[in-house]
Amino acid sequence: MKTWKILLTTAIGVALAGEAWAQQTTLRIFTGGQQRPDVMRKIADEYQKKNPNVKVDVEVGGATSDAQQQYLSTVLSSKDSVLDVILIDVIRPAQWAAQGWAEPLDAYLGADKAKVMGQYLKAYAEADQVNGKVIALPYFADSQFLYYRKDLLDKYKRPVPKTWDEMMETAKVIMDGEKSPQLQGFSTAGSPIEGTVCTYLVPLWGAGSDLTKDGKLNLDNAQAKQPFQLYGRMKQAGVLPKNIAEIPTDRIRIDMQAGNVIFGMTWSYVWNRLENDADSKVKGKIGVTMLPHDPGGKSATCIGGWQLAVSAFSKNKAEAVKFVRWLSSPEVSKMQAIMASHMPVFPTVYKDADVLKANPWFADALPVVEGARSRPVSAQYPQVSDAIRTNMNAYLAGTKTTDVALSDMKSRLQPVIR
Amino acid sequence: MQDAPSFGRKDLSERTLGVLLLLPAALLLLLIVVYPIATLFVNSLESVDNANPTAGETFVGFANYARAFDDNRFWHATGNTILYIIVTVPGSLVLGLLLALLANLPFRVKWPVRLGLLLPWALPLVFAGLIFRWFFEYQTGVVNDLLAKFGVEPLQWLSEPTLAFIAICVAIVWKASSFMALMLLAGLQTIPRSLYEAAEVDGASRWQQFWQITLPMLRPAIFVALIFRTITAIQTFDIPYAMTGGGPGESTETLAMYIHKTTLDFLDFGYGSALAALMFVLSMFATSGYLRYTRRSSGRTGDQ
Repeated sequence: MKTWKILLTTAIGVALAGEAWAQQTTLRIFTGGQQRPDVMRKIADEYQKKNPNVKVDVEVGGATSDAQQQYLSTVLSSKDSVLDVILIDVIRPAQWAAQGWAEPLDAYLGADKAKVMGQYLKAYAEADQVNGKVIALPYFADSQFLYYRKDLLDKYKRPVPKTWDEMMETAKVIMDGEKSPQLQGFSTAGSPIEGTVCTYLVPLWGAGSDLTKDGKLNLDNAQAKQPFQLYGRMKQAGVLPKNIAEIPTDRIRIDMQAGNVIFGMTWSYVWNRLENDADSKVKGKIGVTMLPHDPGGKSATCIGGWQLAVSAFSKNKAEAVKFVRWLSSPEVSKMQAIMASHMPVFPTVYKDADVLKANPWFADALPVVEGARSRPVSAQYPQVSDAIRTNMNAYLAGTKTTDVALSDMKSRLQPVIR
Repeated sequence: MQDAPSFGRKDLSERTLGVLLLLPAALLLLLIVVYPIATLFVNSLESVDNANPTAGETFVGFANYARAFDDNRFWHATGNTILYIIVTVPGSLVLGLLLALLANLPFRVKWPVRLGLLLPWALPLVFAGLIFRWFFEYQTGVVNDLLAKFGVEPLQWLSEPTLAFIAICVAIVWKASSFMALMLLAGLQTIPRSLYEAAEVDGASRWQQFWQITLPMLRPAIFVALIFRTITAIQTFDIPYAMTGGGPGESTETLAMYIHKTTLDFLDFGYGSALAALMFVLSMFATSGYLRYTRRSSGRTGDQ
């Protein structure tokens, strides 16, 4: 009799659990190792609490944008349905639209489309729409800033530099004074990775030019040489680290955290790490400002940031879109700003008191992000990027002269930018 | 001999059985080897416009191959690959032989030596690449630290083309020589001790024994090891990928890295397939060279 009861209750229990299980949707979101998967996990837990029928798995991919894309290209070229939501770099929507990897979100947004897209920073609303279709929604904003050692600038009574030359001079003064062989004057990405594209573009924009003009390649002018010449001068002055051609993005943060960098051109995530990491030697000693420019020119910066795309091969598109809409909300923007110094994609969140408490420099950051410029938009962006980064890297390593690097860059870009 | 008359009848059914037994393996090979290679070749004759990939592939004949012949980067990468072969194949053979001879010494406890040989081989290639990248790192690497102890200025191992090439070769030789050593050790153990005893009786020195007995007896093992090593050297990818990413510029890029970039980064599957087919040709060429040499030399020993 007793056994029967137990069996019966077990059977009912299993049936109920099965029922609950059947209603449960599991969403798998892909994020890069450098985009704070720990923070994504916390945010996903929050979502699970609000939506008990949804379980979110966070899949963590490569540390760099390139490594992630190589994996994603394999998954998506084979039309694998394993991923539902994917965090992609701001440079990717054009390629993703062309390849048909991202589910266009227009149908899901419906009549709200203009209203929804209108709340974001303009640059992201533009970056995420390709040929009028919404390919992704913004997750967090980013751009490059000049990180500097407040304490050292104060010690040598130098102002925060406005131009490249002022920055070089200040770096030189501090380096001569400190006499530490470890100390680097200025660091930026120089190894053959995506970040090195911005290493070339920032001084190019700072000189008032751009890679393309009216859709045509625009490198037959003196400004196109400017970035090479600028880094060449820095190298000669000993301001750049000797191994600049080996430095990837996160290395700048690591060196800075160890107290070995005076000026660094890097992204917003660095702030949180410098202020909060246990091994940071520069807590409270760092200032953040606009990147330097040429005398008479205007400060320019590369736009970065990460976008949420719904995989075209997902089997749970409706639930995935719901999740993406929430991830791309002011509420989550604020959570990220506080937990990871990820810059919000909504102008309003920059004025939030809690956000400003965690990131005082956000007050001045909004105009910088609003003025940040896009790397060339192309369905064949990987080729564009490769042409720029490998030649910038070769120049920094000293294996190519300005003229050779520039002409090699041009001949590689010509077939892809028509 | 009593079974001989019935052998003819059994022959047919045995052959059928043999074919039946081989069939699953043959089908599997067809599926996982022949089919992908055929697909690769078909792909290499097609092209897709990546600015408008939804338009699909178009048949372009041998245009992708023609493009490769005009592509400096392809020739540069092929040249690099050949350079890696020329340096690392003999390098790992010599070091591997030394290690094998060392491991073949009558140690009382054999396992630490064997484990030491096995570990580098068992390590994934990309790990080896990362480890050596840290060794050769500019600021924190152990190599520059050692150099500093001798008063040498730190060297840019990973961003100076010649140094980067040397660093990568060191890593490859380290990684590959343990495999060579394992193959050669197996060969060494098949050499009968009696040959050495006889040589000792005849008054041959250790050195003479090595040249007159060990090396000739080891020849088949050396050839097999060389073929394997050359084929993997043609496919060199992981170690330079992890150490330099092909940099500075493209100065350490191998053919396999260029194929990887063309297909996975540029999504240019047609051109990438053509490059892969060309690498296959290079592989066949090298292997057939070895095989011809072994056939000729074994023919010569037969004549004696």
